[in-house]
Amino acid sequence: MSAAKVMIVDDSFFSRTLLAETLQLGGCEVVGEADSFDSLIETYNNCKPDIVTMDIVMPGTDGFECSRALLMNDPSAKIILVSSMKDEETEAEARRIGIAGYVQKPIDGEYLLNIIKNILSPDTLYEELIESAPGIFNEALSQNITRMTKTPVSFESMDTFDDTYVSQGITTVIGIIGRYSGSMILDLSSEAAEQIVEILLHRPSKNHEEVLAMVAELANIIAGVACSMLNKKDKSYSLRVSPPSVFFSSNSEIASPNLKIQASYAQTTFGSIFLGIGFKKGAASWI
Amino acid sequence: MDINLINPLILSFIDILPQIGFQSVERKGLSLVASTLDYDGVLVNISLVGVLKGAILIGMSLDSAKEFASKMMMGMPVTDFDSLAQSAISEMGNMVCANACTQFSKVGIDGLDISPPVLLIGHNGQATLPVPQTIAVQFLVDGIEINVYVGLIEVNG
Repeated sequence: MSAAKVMIVDDSFFSRTLLAETLQLGGCEVVGEADSFDSLIETYNNCKPDIVTMDIVMPGTDGFECSRALLMNDPSAKIILVSSMKDEETEAEARRIGIAGYVQKPIDGEYLLNIIKNILSPDTLYEELIESAPGIFNEALSQNITRMTKTPVSFESMDTFDDTYVSQGITTVIGIIGRYSGSMILDLSSEAAEQIVEILLHRPSKNHEEVLAMVAELANIIAGVACSMLNKKDKSYSLRVSPPSVFFSSNSEIASPNLKIQASYAQTTFGSIFLGIGFKKGAASWI
Repeated sequence: MDINLINPLILSFIDILPQIGFQSVERKGLSLVASTLDYDGVLVNISLVGVLKGAILIGMSLDSAKEFASKMMMGMPVTDFDSLAQSAISEMGNMVCANACTQFSKVGIDGLDISPPVLLIGHNGQATLPVPQTIAVQFLVDGIEINVYVGLIEVNG
């Protein structure tokens, strides 16, 4: 691996010098330094670092505000928060906003270099999740549709979901949290949903609410079954699902701009059901 | 649903938006509504899991979303609600909700986590949150109207 390019954000000249020394001794290249919010983005865009170390306490700003600005400027920015405080909630918020690592002051050089190495090396557990999740979610959908309606299901994979997807009518979104957080999107037409309700209840649906409730329940079961299958594969995933949010519109688009969604179409007797799943890469150093 | 559950989110809006380029954050209305609500324009869905479960929706008209994204990108003109503008709005949602979890922990509700944002863009749409009631709150952010819906339930045990 070539030397990691690091940018240091710290208001203290002494701290920057000390940190630069540690990084250089460890084989990293210090490509930029910023001492305030004002010079942050410009320095980042000029030096294009692999890693940013971010002091949490700075006059007139703080590491969170600077990190938010950096992540807004480049969502793939890899930031390590440096703080003398060690409290769970600071760590938790850092993780939620997408900060890649957290180290405590005084900095242990070896620990910091390890974190940099972890952040920059491929996360095999994540790669495995991305590889296996679509198949497992498809299996969960297919199992449930087949079991509930005694009809077959086949899949057609959609290569991309890079831009937006136009809903067929009813969209369900389920959030997933755990070692990696993610989203599941299930989308089908009202007609397809009505047909499924009719098979399940042996009568036509009474109203629209009944149809939406069935779709929510179906999505809930699929996400729950798929996540427990993934947790069985590796229990450190610790995936948990949120209850479903259901959206209904005759012509709406769905987008997931900061998370790549892998999608497929389940071909069923009732029409096609769109199933999309995506997971966000986690923070290397919290593991 | 306990109406006080809205406070951490309000604090988060007031805390975060000034950090991403906005001068004034005013809270307008606050009401308790049913679990199904209408939307027109852009809606960001962020799910929450923990001792509270459910979702937070942040909605605005398409024009407001373009104006909002433009302000976030330091005044860069936004004529289409393209992937860059979509990314800005969803990042805002992510940061506000991430900070809301921190605000929740300050009142003793710990360990909440959020899922990545999903965006819906459409007209005359309807959203149903997995709760009996939803808290709706309106903000005026530098003159841009934002509707936020919070549908959370306490999970026992």
